[in-house]
Amino acid sequence: MLDILLPILLFSALALAAIGAVRRARLWRQGRPSSVPVLKGLMQVPRRYLVDLHHVVERDKYISHTHVATAGGFVLAALLAIIVHGVGLDSAILAWVLLAATTSMFIGSILVAKRRSPPPSRLSKGPWMRLPKSLMAFSIGMFVITLPTAGILPDGVFQEGLGWIAALVLAAIIVWGLGEMFFGMTWGGPMKHAFAGALHLAYHRRPERFSDKTGGEHRSTGLKALKLNDDSAKLGVEKPADFTWNQLLGFDACVQCGRCEAACPAFAAGQPLNPKKLIQDMVVGMAGGSDANYAGSPYPGKPVGEHQGDPFGPIVAREGTALVDPETLWSCTTCRACVEECPMMIEHVDAIVDMRRFLTLEHGNTPNKGAEVLDNLIATDNPGGFDPDSRLHWAADLNLPLMADKKEADVLLWLGDGVFDMRNQRTLRAFISVLRAAGVDFAVLGNEERDSGDVARRLGDEATFQTLARRNIQTMSRYRFDRIVTCDPHSFHVLKNEYGELGTAEAPSSYHVQHHSTFISELVSANKLSFKAWKGGSVTYHDPCYLGRYNGEYEAPRDVLKALGIEIKEMARSGYRSRCCGGGGGAPITDIPGKQRIPDMRMEDVRETGADLVAVGCPQCTAMLEGVVEPRAGIKDIAELVADALIIDTAADKAAQAKADPAPALEETS
Amino acid sequence: MAFDALFKPIQIGKHTIRNRVVSTAHAEVHATDGGMTTDRYVKYYEEKAKGGCGLCICGGSSIVSIDSPQGWWSSVNLSTDRIIPHFQNLADAVHKHGGKIMIQITHMGRRSRWDGFDWSTLVSPSGIREPVHRSTCKTIEEEEIWRIIGDFAQAARRAKEGGLDGVELSAVHQHLIDQFWSPRVNKRTDDWGGTFENRMRFGMEVLKAVRAEVGDDFTVGMRITGDEFHPDGLDHEEMKRIAAYYDATGKIDFFGVVGSGCDTHNTLANVIPNMSYPPEPFLHLASGIKEVVNVPVIHAQNIKDPNQAQRILEGGYVDMVGMTRAHIADPHIIAKIKNDQVDQIKQCVGANYCIDRQYQGLDVLCIQNAATSREYMGLPHIIEKTEGPTRKVVVVGGGPGGMEAARVCAERGHDVTLFEAKDQIGGQITIASKAPQRDQIAGITRWYQLELNRLGVDQRLGTKADEATIKDLRPDVVILATGGQPFLSQVPEWGYDADTDKSLVVSTWDILEGRVEPGKNVLIFDTICEFSGVSAADYLADKGCRVEIVTDDIKPGAAVGGTTFPTYYRSLYEKEVIMTSDLALHKVYREGESLVAVLENEYTGALEERVVDQVVVENGVRPDEALYYALKHQSRNKGQTDIEALYAIKPQPSLSQSGDGFALFRLGDCTAPRNTHAAIYDALRLCKDF
Repeated sequence: MLDILLPILLFSALALAAIGAVRRARLWRQGRPSSVPVLKGLMQVPRRYLVDLHHVVERDKYISHTHVATAGGFVLAALLAIIVHGVGLDSAILAWVLLAATTSMFIGSILVAKRRSPPPSRLSKGPWMRLPKSLMAFSIGMFVITLPTAGILPDGVFQEGLGWIAALVLAAIIVWGLGEMFFGMTWGGPMKHAFAGALHLAYHRRPERFSDKTGGEHRSTGLKALKLNDDSAKLGVEKPADFTWNQLLGFDACVQCGRCEAACPAFAAGQPLNPKKLIQDMVVGMAGGSDANYAGSPYPGKPVGEHQGDPFGPIVAREGTALVDPETLWSCTTCRACVEECPMMIEHVDAIVDMRRFLTLEHGNTPNKGAEVLDNLIATDNPGGFDPDSRLHWAADLNLPLMADKKEADVLLWLGDGVFDMRNQRTLRAFISVLRAAGVDFAVLGNEERDSGDVARRLGDEATFQTLARRNIQTMSRYRFDRIVTCDPHSFHVLKNEYGELGTAEAPSSYHVQHHSTFISELVSANKLSFKAWKGGSVTYHDPCYLGRYNGEYEAPRDVLKALGIEIKEMARSGYRSRCCGGGGGAPITDIPGKQRIPDMRMEDVRETGADLVAVGCPQCTAMLEGVVEPRAGIKDIAELVADALIIDTAADKAAQAKADPAPALEETS
Repeated sequence: MAFDALFKPIQIGKHTIRNRVVSTAHAEVHATDGGMTTDRYVKYYEEKAKGGCGLCICGGSSIVSIDSPQGWWSSVNLSTDRIIPHFQNLADAVHKHGGKIMIQITHMGRRSRWDGFDWSTLVSPSGIREPVHRSTCKTIEEEEIWRIIGDFAQAARRAKEGGLDGVELSAVHQHLIDQFWSPRVNKRTDDWGGTFENRMRFGMEVLKAVRAEVGDDFTVGMRITGDEFHPDGLDHEEMKRIAAYYDATGKIDFFGVVGSGCDTHNTLANVIPNMSYPPEPFLHLASGIKEVVNVPVIHAQNIKDPNQAQRILEGGYVDMVGMTRAHIADPHIIAKIKNDQVDQIKQCVGANYCIDRQYQGLDVLCIQNAATSREYMGLPHIIEKTEGPTRKVVVVGGGPGGMEAARVCAERGHDVTLFEAKDQIGGQITIASKAPQRDQIAGITRWYQLELNRLGVDQRLGTKADEATIKDLRPDVVILATGGQPFLSQVPEWGYDADTDKSLVVSTWDILEGRVEPGKNVLIFDTICEFSGVSAADYLADKGCRVEIVTDDIKPGAAVGGTTFPTYYRSLYEKEVIMTSDLALHKVYREGESLVAVLENEYTGALEERVVDQVVVENGVRPDEALYYALKHQSRNKGQTDIEALYAIKPQPSLSQSGDGFALFRLGDCTAPRNTHAAIYDALRLCKDF
């Protein structure tokens, strides 16, 4: 009987799966068009899966091994089951392989079950709790039914006597297993992640993220420019259907593992954001309905079941509730910890900024200080609303060489809006003394420099970003320089990764941009600097998000600190897992309340290392961390540490004095 | 950005000044080497530049001619080329920290003394005597006028050749230029007096000669008064006319404006307003001048706080603020603003210890900052952490000496416990601050309190330390700064008794601290003649008492400095306090409900009596030595401070010698009664190497 039943069950499940797949694809196709290489994309899946995705997954060895056993076992078992039991190819060898595959899958499913007993808070419950049992059902069912084919049990064992009863039970188990694994995959069950995930890998909106055979760094973190002149499209994303279809596909790939939730600083601070829930809300919106069935951690302070949406309804209501509340979107610091952790390579930050763009550009609803900051940027080219001609006030005694005078220099020193902040002025002074000690030929734009546009862009004001960027590009096109160096990772990121799209033939905008730590590291390697022995206390290093996760620069700052003779006491969360200071993405401007402050948590990370000092490389991080009440570790920019340790030879010193270098270290009274 | 107005650069002449804060010209009394800028002089200004000051105008009343004597105030001598290399050192020291430096140049005319050095014959437009210096002078002749004009030009050349950034012509404080301006002093009928143009002529010729000598790329400014406050002097309208007249030449790069003339004791007090004045009392005068000139205007006078400076600059009243005493109290004031350490700024309290020393020809020192103008000796404004052992330091007594000792030891990284018997620190500063118009002296304590809190000093307030409590802490170093008590028992006939009910006399401390009810008719006998006696008189008069203050010295308040006794006198005269000199308190006895004070004339021995209901005696402080002698013989150094090491600013040898027990030191009035600065200086130089 099973001989007949099994192929029917298998092919019915496959047919249902195919119908489900078409229906699911229709949901994605509600999104805006986005052209992709259809076949080439599919061809890329194995490599993207086995190399790039696996690279992320294997950070958690347990689940990595589990997934290899389970998913590998399942894919093989499913294929062989179709051949052996579906088509009926009676091969003992294939049957043995099938037995091995189901065994592997069974072992994997035990590990899955173990991980969920009890499940950690970041994992979703609900249907996900039955998944290990479903996996076991499929693997056990397929195993047992293959035993006769492999010759371990006699043929016909399930056709006589008690065998009938066993066959019935077995059939039930197989129906359960097939239902979950084939039917559930395209009809919204937990296995959806495999189906949507594979296609998401094929048609990812940032194909540059994935490696190729040539190796090397593959990173794509710059936001994509919004076409501001397209009258047919609204600015940003209002409704789920305003996302591109492959973004919707990406949301559908979410496996609800909650790695993003565990990494999200806003979630940890009790602000109303959970990246996992946000992605699930997009899935709810895409299909239409309420979030009541969501079985993971809610947005802090926002119970599940009170929001609903549909593909063509607004995500954020002007009044009342819709799918997502605006404060959820404004809680994000754009630190990319979620994206970095996501094993499904979902782009949370892109989605959040897309939705912010609509709120800012079409609704004019940027909360708290947002509107004021954007107005300032429009009126004065800087977020604080300072006199644009006062950019160099802090440096009146430094006689900085101006590009307007020099026309060319080896290094264009991009000062950033930290020029208006007395704390950051100390960092800049320190870095300038380093440049002078090393005899670097540099110049600044001075009053010609404008805000890089970073904050405007993260706050969704794409128009102001593009205006600022184009004007900066125009200015820089008048001068010749080999590279741009800046102490501000946010300027660094946009200059390096986001200006490129906006250049023109006359004013190309592809620059060689370096963070000051990278540049100092090069000066050290070239023996351009000599240092006194380190006499300070123990030091830890805080990776700025826009330097580390956004641009992969983890080593240069550490190399510089090592060159100073500092042994770094690393924080538990450092490198690509560094916790955000809370200062990115305009979060201090939109200032969404939570239960605690992100920088307080970060200084707690510092405290755990016992370090007396935290070295930083970003004006935002400096400001956020210094805002934490004492007692706490001291905070110094890498440039300050380097300047403090400089041994300046007297000849160079005299030359520097002739340029009226005020030896900033002496001005420090702390 | 907070303080943005303060940190907006400004163009003065051809120079960009990095911020709006000026250390204005004042006599430092440091050019002791025949008027050359000494190492001390250079280091004093280097510290300000290092601390971020935008512009230093040094050398108040630096002289251009040899008949304007410099020795009285050790001012800078620009009458010789010998000064040029000295200026180069000074200019380098300031420039290397990004600051700019100019010098005030002047001929003081009659405003000096003739009875010393070259025994010069002083000159002035009409030979009229100057009262403050009791100086007589001759009527200047035309030949001398032209010589001095030439001297100004040569002096400016020397400043330029020495690498300074500019000169400020002094036409304020009744120097020769404004002696010509003022009809009160200039009675001439020739080309140099009479009409406005004639009175302006000398200053104009000086300006022309200086500008012709130095050219356009050297800054030339002028310091003027905004109003002399003399009925027959230059008033504000006249000064606006004068400023506009000189400004119209286009030869002046900036004006500095000072409120008040100063050729009487009373007006002099206005020029450097002490703590009894409101903030920036004469800003309106500088603002008035700014209305009529086209170049930047600088104004100093009681601008001590960064918020105040920001408010003044933001309001556009003037272009730059002089924060001169603010820099004497804390030369790192700008750096502290920039480092977000505004709470750590040691703010000038207007005690005027600096200027009152200067008027006596003594070097300028700060009452509360012993490092100022001692930079050249190696006394630090910023205390470095020790690299040696961390010590347990016990300081007993929270007056000026104890507070400074605790602060310095804590900055060094030692574990410090401070005992204070009262429930607040401050010692005699707290008592002094109770007098009318003297409350700001408590600012000294306020800063120490903030610093001691910041540094985590264990402060045991309301705790009188004894031998056992000190030894329980197992200290390595014990510093006693226990002060003393009013010395009323010196003359038994005064009838002092420790029991206030029985005592016939009370102390000024009893009065100021409110421990005794003020009487209706009070006699104060003050043989010390410093602040406490006049403060007690002012306090009692303020409460409505009828007060007579008697001294056996030459006048009540005789030892109060030249910029402070006038403000006391204004208040005491207004409240009808009787001030009597030359009488000593011979005896006090009770007669019925009243007290009879028997006074003896210092010069005739004649006795006279006053019937009053309260007798207050100020006879100084008797050191409290009990704790010292209880500990002295248990200490490893027998309580001895090595004075050779102390005076040489070197570490105390007893600290590096091996031995058991604690080292014991004494500071301030518990050794011998001196003053606030002495206690703080001793504490700093003793503790800086602990």
